[in-house]
Amino acid sequence: MSECIVITSGKGGVGKTTTSANLGVSLAQLGHRVVVMDADIGLRNLDVIMGLENRIVYDLVHVIEGECRLKQALIRDKRLDNLYLLPAAQTRDKNCVTPEQMRDLVKQLKEEFDYVLVDCPAGIEQGFRNSVAGADRAIIVTTPEVSAIRDADRIIGLVEAAELPEPTLVINRFRQKMVDRGDMLDKADILEILAIPLVGIIPDHEEIIVSANRGIPVAYDPESVVGEAYRRVARRLTGEPEVPFIAEQPTGFWSNIKRWMGMSPAAGAV
Amino acid sequence: MHQLMRRFFGTQGSKNDAKSRLKLLLVHDAIDLTPAEMEAMKAEVIEVMSKYISLDRSEVDFRLERHEGEIALVSNVPVRRVTARAG
Ligand SMILES: Nc1ncnc2c1ncn2[C@@H]1O[C@H](COP(=O)(O)OP(=O)(O)OP(=O)(O)O)[C@@H](O)[C@H]1O
Ligand SMILES: [Mg+2]
Repeated sequence: MSECIVITSGKGGVGKTTTSANLGVSLAQLGHRVVVMDADIGLRNLDVIMGLENRIVYDLVHVIEGECRLKQALIRDKRLDNLYLLPAAQTRDKNCVTPEQMRDLVKQLKEEFDYVLVDCPAGIEQGFRNSVAGADRAIIVTTPEVSAIRDADRIIGLVEAAELPEPTLVINRFRQKMVDRGDMLDKADILEILAIPLVGIIPDHEEIIVSANRGIPVAYDPESVVGEAYRRVARRLTGEPEVPFIAEQPTGFWSNIKRWMGMSPAAGAV
Repeated sequence: MHQLMRRFFGTQGSKNDAKSRLKLLLVHDAIDLTPAEMEAMKAEVIEVMSKYISLDRSEVDFRLERHEGEIALVSNVPVRRVTARAG
């Protein structure tokens, strides 16, 4: 049975696109047929994060407007042949697509793929409505900050209003050291406030920037702690709900040495 | 240094501020009532109550709480003594 999952947040810049790309890679690595759809029409980014920007010929608006067939617009990933990208149009705006058209498109994609991941734009307007239209469920991305959590709460309400089942939560840019000194909301604080099931804690890490520079999602790196965090989200979503959450990678001199020497695993369980 | 200063000034981590501010924000968002409107309501309610009972405004506790999705207006009004009935 195939499933469409929308990745949304309300607030901009909290990591929806990063999460979409890495979850796509992680689910594909588990052997599923996956398509990640960039629904951020006018501000497409997912292609760049996945390093596929040079291969775009057609986009989802071309498909919806009948200018090409769906298969022509799908771009196969460079490394995984069961992972595809459906890019957004860059020079159009969100209002050129309707929720009904999106629902139709998702329906077609679900015939070909096990997972359809939709990278939702920021905001609660048309782009959000389009993105949730065909979704079976939603993942809410937040950071441990007041403004992001406030917007997440708002989005949870809108997801429920759209008659999707209870969404799940990914906490991004988590910093264990700040939590330890009482300067960052912890997992328990956030869950107490948002009261939805947690499926991932992603550390705040410079690897994300390096991987964005290269156009290679960090989930490809078997050594990466952030990659491991994303791989675990994929496992939790696919029938392994008990996979433990990972702690932040120690970044001191000695732990780097140990890591080079292979003495310390990429991630420690908490 | 940071830790030392913290100890010196005896401040708690900022996460407690974040949490209490968030909780307040979310209930106000949820019922679409701003903190200012809440204050106005509180003043009016105190006004009405003080027609019947004697109370110290500064002791009246009046706040919104959220428990598992349910929002309640919780109020604690210490009464000094009953005054003569109005009207
Ligand atoms: N775990 C992380 N550690 C460090 N940097 C991160 C992390 N997650 C995201 N970022 C950075 O935050 C920025 C925003 O990320 P991203 O584009 O994924 O967010 P978004 O929610 O899709 O934004 P938008 O709302 O604009 O679509 C990027 O520059 C990214 O590199
Ligand atoms: Mg994005």
